[in-house]
Parts: sequence; structure tokens; C-alpha cells
Amino acid sequence: MIAEIGLFALILALLIAAVQSAVPLVGAARGQASWMKLAPSAASAQFGLIALSFAALVWLHVTSDFSVANVVHNSHTDKPLLYKITGVWGNHEGSMLLWVLILAFYGLAVALFGKNLPPALRARVLAVQGMIAFGFLLFILATSNPFERISPPPVNGEGLNPLLQDPGLAFHPPFLYLGYVGFSMAFSFAIAALIEGRVDAAWARWVRPWTLAAWCALTLGIAMGSWWSYYTLGWGGWWAWDPVENASLMPWLAGTALLHSAIVVEKRDTLKGWTIFLAILAFSLSLLGTFLVRSGVLTSVHAFANDPARGKFILALLAIVTGGSLILFAARAGALKAGGIFAPVSRESGLVFNNLFLSCAAGTVLLGTLAPLIADALHLQKLSVGAPWFNLVVPVLLTPMLLVMPLGPLLAWKRGDGIEALKRARFAAVVAAATIIVTLVLTRAVSALPALGLGLAAWLLFGTLTEWTGRVGLFRKPLRQTLAHARHLPRAMHGMALAHIGMAIFLIGVTGSLSWQSEKLLVMHPGQSTTIAGYTVRFVGVEDNARGPNYTADRGLFFAEKDGRTLSVMRPERRLYDNPPEPKSTVAILTNFVSDLYVVLGESDDHGGHVVHIFHNPLVPWIFFGAVVMVLGGLVSLSDRRWRIGAPKKAARFVEVEPAPRREIKIPVGGRYALPALAFLILVGVFFWRLQQTAAGDTPNLIPSVLIDKPAPAFALKPLYPGQPSFATTDLKGRVTLVNFFASWCLPCRAEHPVLRLVQGHGIALVGIAYKDKPDDAQGLLAELGNPYTRVAADADGRTGIDFGVSGVPETYLIDKNGIIRRKVAGPLTEDVLKNDILPLAEKLQ
Amino acid sequence: MKRALLALVFLVPAFAVQPDEVMKDPQQEARARTIGKELRCLVCQNESIDESDAPLARDLRLLVRQRIAAGDNDAQVKNYIVARYGTYVLLKPPFDQTWLLWLGPFLLLGAGGIGVLAWYRRRPLETPPLSEAERARLKSLEEGDT
Repeated sequence: MIAEIGLFALILALLIAAVQSAVPLVGAARGQASWMKLAPSAASAQFGLIALSFAALVWLHVTSDFSVANVVHNSHTDKPLLYKITGVWGNHEGSMLLWVLILAFYGLAVALFGKNLPPALRARVLAVQGMIAFGFLLFILATSNPFERISPPPVNGEGLNPLLQDPGLAFHPPFLYLGYVGFSMAFSFAIAALIEGRVDAAWARWVRPWTLAAWCALTLGIAMGSWWSYYTLGWGGWWAWDPVENASLMPWLAGTALLHSAIVVEKRDTLKGWTIFLAILAFSLSLLGTFLVRSGVLTSVHAFANDPARGKFILALLAIVTGGSLILFAARAGALKAGGIFAPVSRESGLVFNNLFLSCAAGTVLLGTLAPLIADALHLQKLSVGAPWFNLVVPVLLTPMLLVMPLGPLLAWKRGDGIEALKRARFAAVVAAATIIVTLVLTRAVSALPALGLGLAAWLLFGTLTEWTGRVGLFRKPLRQTLAHARHLPRAMHGMALAHIGMAIFLIGVTGSLSWQSEKLLVMHPGQSTTIAGYTVRFVGVEDNARGPNYTADRGLFFAEKDGRTLSVMRPERRLYDNPPEPKSTVAILTNFVSDLYVVLGESDDHGGHVVHIFHNPLVPWIFFGAVVMVLGGLVSLSDRRWRIGAPKKAARFVEVEPAPRREIKIPVGGRYALPALAFLILVGVFFWRLQQTAAGDTPNLIPSVLIDKPAPAFALKPLYPGQPSFATTDLKGRVTLVNFFASWCLPCRAEHPVLRLVQGHGIALVGIAYKDKPDDAQGLLAELGNPYTRVAADADGRTGIDFGVSGVPETYLIDKNGIIRRKVAGPLTEDVLKNDILPLAEKLQ
Repeated sequence: MKRALLALVFLVPAFAVQPDEVMKDPQQEARARTIGKELRCLVCQNESIDESDAPLARDLRLLVRQRIAAGDNDAQVKNYIVARYGTYVLLKPPFDQTWLLWLGPFLLLGAGGIGVLAWYRRRPLETPPLSEAERARLKSLEEGDT
């Protein structure tokens, strides 16, 4: 019953979203106030219905209703209550429901707080929100129904992936979605402005706080995700440039750019078209992230179940939302008149510089993330772009921006004095230079990286402080006066200073983590101790079979000591969860807020020893502090008086509702405003092509052999059966040979086995190579299923496999009479491939 | 129905490199770690062999260490693996085959920079006077305010 109520509420919400997206829009076009007034009511009703639906799903999870598939697949009665609740969004269907709930929440906020907006603008904004909600509700109902019943209901559920049974799940996805979805507000305002053909300071005053709120949430969400992976995964790192991580970074970069360009629109009434474009871009990149994560077009360690049908649906949504808005942009952006004029050296130009680099950074992350997909979809080459590429390119790209960052706020609006700004920043320059020199001396100049990183951070920190102290008159005026200045300074200025300082702290953390991380990997026996970075880590022992609420753990006991004093007891664990029976290790971290001592317990050997991995991570906590300070800056700025006051209400009442003037829609071909739409069209084409390939079974991870048409590698293998002839490179000469790597532990090999029998009678030698297998096991397999091979060799250590480029068994190679590899089949050989490809080719080679 | 999981499914929580793999010479070990971070694990999802627990990743780590012990320099070690698995294994793809990827960010920056410069040159240097409609609106607003 509860599930049906939830589903029914969702269907009603879909219908309301349909009304919300159409009626107010028509009303705004015709100037009919009653039609426009429908928008806030519809938005409120929509929020109520989706909240009801979400509450229903939470209820089903909390009460462990195993007649609902979503609960069965993600919950278990033994799971602690916290994870029963957070498990609601620990899966695809539930997280999509959270997504639309947050979307509806923002719609409600416009309905409640948007009373002083011009009615037509509010109606249009809510209509666009309604359209987005309609698309995603339809997506949920059509492909991802969280309320699907299962019959007969199982006695208990399958449980939640142990890695998700962490408090991080309670905060990370909701904040991330608050950020992603929050950019829909700027997007809706942008579309409404394009329809109206007007962007002014009042518009920017509305867009900026929403963007700022979304940005704060996204920053916090990303930082929490990073922290979560840092303390959970036991690899000592905090960012891996995984496609899914990149998917969150791209909207962050675009959103940060938007945040800054909206200031120019608000203060100086210019950069309007560009700001509109950024608003579209930030939300589109959020949607693109959703598409990448849930469609399976990219391989990632953070995996939702991949389903091409869902992928096509989200791609269609992306195409409509982004494509539609970019076409509207192409048609209308030219009509947006620029207002304020500014000189090449001015605060405005500083912000343009910021925007140029931030959007290029977003483009770079997009390029690196999509390059493998594009290169593969177009059959250019199989390509990997990983952390080493990003770590090289992104910092190089962003350094100029960071260098200019403290100077921008020192410049005046309209026309700034560059020399004066540099003069004012000289103290920061001196501190930065001193930092570089001291760091070089202290580190004996092993590497320039830490010196440059810290120097840059010092420049940013002290440059920002110079600007702030200048504004409040610190050191120049009596303290009392300074305090008064600080009180009267707009909160936004304090917020900016704080956010920029947060960035400096973050930079220090990154530099420390990249430069001075040390680690120790060793086998420890109880009673032994080891030293790392001045700490002594004493291993006391392991408590076996300690019980947790729904897991059993081996709990390690370590003492962290320094200068003969015990600082802390550290208890890293290796857990085995009951349901699903999967392992998870928990890291023990001892932090002094400057550096972390980080202990991971590994497997035990047969002699009472335990593998222990210890990291010393200097300044890593500052990475997260930096992010928190940035968010604090955003919040302080958000509390600025001018957002609370908003546009004067009186004026709003006097602006009469007039029908938007009908404009000719220019066909947007050839104009420079059409470039984004064209680029996007190509991208959608590539994605669609990729989804088709994936659906057709062309798996993204299939690696072509580099050895095709090259001589087979040199090898000499022992026979699997003692006494039989061995197998070496020379045996390939004079006869067409099919070499098949197999193993008894490989299930697909069993599936392939009947096909191998079909090779007989074609005059080809079929050689089996038992890959990384015990001879007894391999012999057992062949005794059980029959031996189809002319000859069987053993590659016990897998080295010959590596020489052939084997990445997983079974793999089959067709080698001609001269010992040249002509074909490679990765995965099980099918009858189809054998009969239509391998055998005809083999006959030709005879 | 397939199971949908949020995050981090394939990262079995452990650490890839095991103590028995570690080379005696710390400098050589450091080189092996760096090389390992630049080689993709072939059977995983976007992990390097240094991070992966897959058996093949371990074999490749051991191979990297063997090559280092045999006196190969870093490029030779990487080429040894590339000769078997192709450039796909390189997480930092070679410039000569992927120059567009490497130059892309800077081309983007260049194009953006030219666009910004063009915009600076094209834009009017003085604020255009108010249009007829704007003047009318200004008037109505002024009257409305009083």
C-alpha cells in the first residue's frame, strides 16, 4: 500500500509538472496573471507530492518491506537504522528520487521567496523548472521505478554494499545533489531571461545567491566525497581523476566561473550573454555528469549499474535540455545589450581572466574525461587518460589564474591602476618569494614543486589579506575604527576574502600531499614497532572475530608514540559483512590537524604476521579545511544584506505585466552564438554512437592486440603432462596454430570448451596453454570435459601470457606458418567467430 | 534485475602492493611505484597497477620490478609493457600519438584568449545613449517611485 501511494504521488507529480511547464509560460507570453499565478501553486504541490513519495520510500526501507525490489536489493533487517535510511539513496532509483526531491525543493523556494520577482520572470523560471522535473520524473517512472514490487517477497534482503555503510553516505550525495540541482536555478533564470530578452542587475541579484548556495553545497559535497574516499579506501589518496569525480569537478569549475561573472552583470551590467552561457553550461555539465555516471559509456570505479536503455533516456534528456537551451541561446544572445564599459585593466577584466581560465579548466577536464571515449567511438585508438595526465595539465593551466587571483580585487571597477595594485601586493610578493627560498633551502631543493606550490599559496593568502586589511583599514587606523569598518563592509567582501583564503589553504594541503607523503609497507608481528616521520607505531596485536552490528572484524591494535609518549591507540579493522558477505577495511587516522598518521591493516600470513600499511600524510587535513573555509566564505557572502533585501518590492509592484515583444527568431546557423550548440550536437552524436556500440556488445574495455601481424613472442613452456613434448616458439613454424590460453579457475573457459572441439579436422594445431594454473587442476579440467588440444603446455607464472598480451583468460591467437600472429580473440571463442572468421582465415593461411 | 550500487564497487579496500613485492633498494622501489602509477591495470576500471588488487596487476608490478632490477631505465620498462599491451596501458598517453589531447587545453585557452581580445576590440568604447523605449521606462519608473 505504502509503495503504491509513493508511486501514485510520483505520477501525480509528473502530471503537475506537465501543467507547471506549460500554463505559466503561456500566461507570461499573453500577460495573463491568473495563468502565471498557477506556477507557485504547482511548484508547491509538486514538492509536496515528491516529498510524500520520498517519505514512502524511506518508510519502506526503514520497515524493511521486502516486497519492494529496491529494498530487497539494497537493505537487510540487520542493517543499522542510519544505513537503512541512507541506503534509500545508495542506489540508482532512490538517488534519482532524491534528485527530483531536491529539484522540487528549489522550485518551492522560488514559490515561497520569489514574491518580489517580476511575475512574468517568476512564471517562466518555474515553468522551466517544471520542464526539467517532467523529464526526470518521466525517466524515473519509465526506467527506474523505485517502488517496483517483487513476488514472492524474499525472507530477507541482499544488504547494502559495505563501502556505502558509512556516515559519508548520509551527507555526500545529498550535498552533491543540492549543488548539481541547485545550478538548475541559474539555468531556469537564464532560460527565462533569454525568452524575455532581458538581463539586468535585478536578474543578477536573483541568480547570484542561488548560484552561491548551489556552489557552497557542491563544494562541500565534493570535499566530503573526497574525504570519504580518503578515510575509507585505505590508499592514502584523496582524488583520483576518475571520470565520476571529474563529472562533479566540471560543474564546480563552470559554477565558480558563473559565480564571478554574475558579479559583473550585477555591478556593471555587462558580460550578459557570457553569464547566460555559463548558467546553461554549469547545469548542462551537471546533467552530463548524471549521464556519464548512469549510462555506462565510461568505465569508472564508482559504478552505478549500467543500462544502455537508461543511458539513451538520459542522453535524450540532455539533448533536449542542453541542446534546446543552446539553440535558444544562439537565437537570442545577440539581442542582449552590453551595458557598462570597462578598461582592459579593471576589476571586470580580472573577472574575465578568471572566467577564461576556469572555463578552460572545465573544458580540459571534459577533454581528458571524454578523450578515451571519443577516440574509441571513432575507432581512432584505444586510449587511457589517467591521473598522471591531469596532474600535469590542470595545475599548469590554472597557475596563471591563481597568480592573478589576489590582484583582481585590488583593481577598481571600470578602470584600475595595475601598477598601484602591484605596489599594494608587494608585501605578498615578498612573503611568497621568502616562502619559495625557505622551502627550497629546507627541502635541499630536491624538487621545485613544493616551493612553487607554497609560494603560490603564500602569494594568494597575503595578497587577499592585503586587500581585506586595506578595506577595513587595519594597521592604518585605530582598532575601534577598523572594527567599525569591518562591520559596515558588505558581507560579500568578507565572504570573498574568506573563500580566497580557503583556496590558499587548499593549495597548501595539495602541495603537502603531493610532495611529502611518506609510507611504509611491511609485515608486522605483535610486539614489533616501526617508525615513520618521527612517530613510532607499535603493533600490539589483532583481536579476531570482533562483532559489529552486521559484520565480523579483525581489529588491529596499535600504539602511536612520539618522543616516548603514547599519543593514541589506533584500531584499524578488516571487516567481513554478513550481508552481502563482502570485505571492507577501516583505516585508523591520528590527526593533529597539520598531518595525519594513517594506518591500514592488511592480510595476515601463516606465521602470525600481518601486512601493515602506514602513511604519513602531511597537510592533507588542510585540503579539507580549505574546502570548508571556501564554503564558509560562500555562506558569509550569502548572508549579505543585499540578498536578504532583494529588489525593492515597491518597484516590482509598479512594473506592469506586459506581453513580451514578439521577436523574430533568427535561424542560428553561422553566428558565433551558435558555436556551442554545434559543438554540443557533435558530442551528443558521439555519445549516441557509443551507446549503440555498447548495446551491440562492443565492450568499452576490449583491448586490441599490438602483436597482430607481428611474430609471436619467444617462449619455451613445459608440457602440462610430464613426459609429453614441450612447447616453444620453434614449434609454430610450418603449421597454422591456434593457441588457446585457458585455466581451470576460469568459468568462461568451460563455456568455450565445446567450441574448441570444432577445431578438429581442419588441419590446424590447437595448442592449449594452462595460464597460471596448478597442473593438477588443469589436468582435472581436461579429464572432466575432455582434451580438445593437440598439445597442452603450462604457463605457471603467467609470463608467457604477458608476452602475448593476455589480459584475461580465455584468449585465443591464430598464428600462421611463419609464426606471425594473425588474429586475437579475447574472451570465449564462439561458434560464430570460429566458423566465420578463424577457420576461413586459417584455410587461407594453409 | 541488475543491482544498482552507488559508488566504489570495484575498489576492494586493501592496498595493492604487498610487502613481498617491495624491492630492497628504496630508490629502485620508488621508481617502480612511480612507473606503476602510470600503467593502467588492464582488467580493472580506470585503476593503475599500483592501486589494483587484480592478479594481473600484481604480475605486472613484479615484471616492472624485474625489469628495473635487470637495469632498464624508466622508459625502457614502460616500453617493455607497451610492446605487449599497446599504448592503452599508459595513463599518461604518449605525446606523438595524442598531441591533440596534450595541446587541447592550451589550444582552448588560446582560442578563448583570442575570443576575449576580439571582444575587447569590437565592443563600443562609450555607453550607447538610451533608446526611446528605455527613456519611456525610466520616466515611468521615476514617476512610479514618487
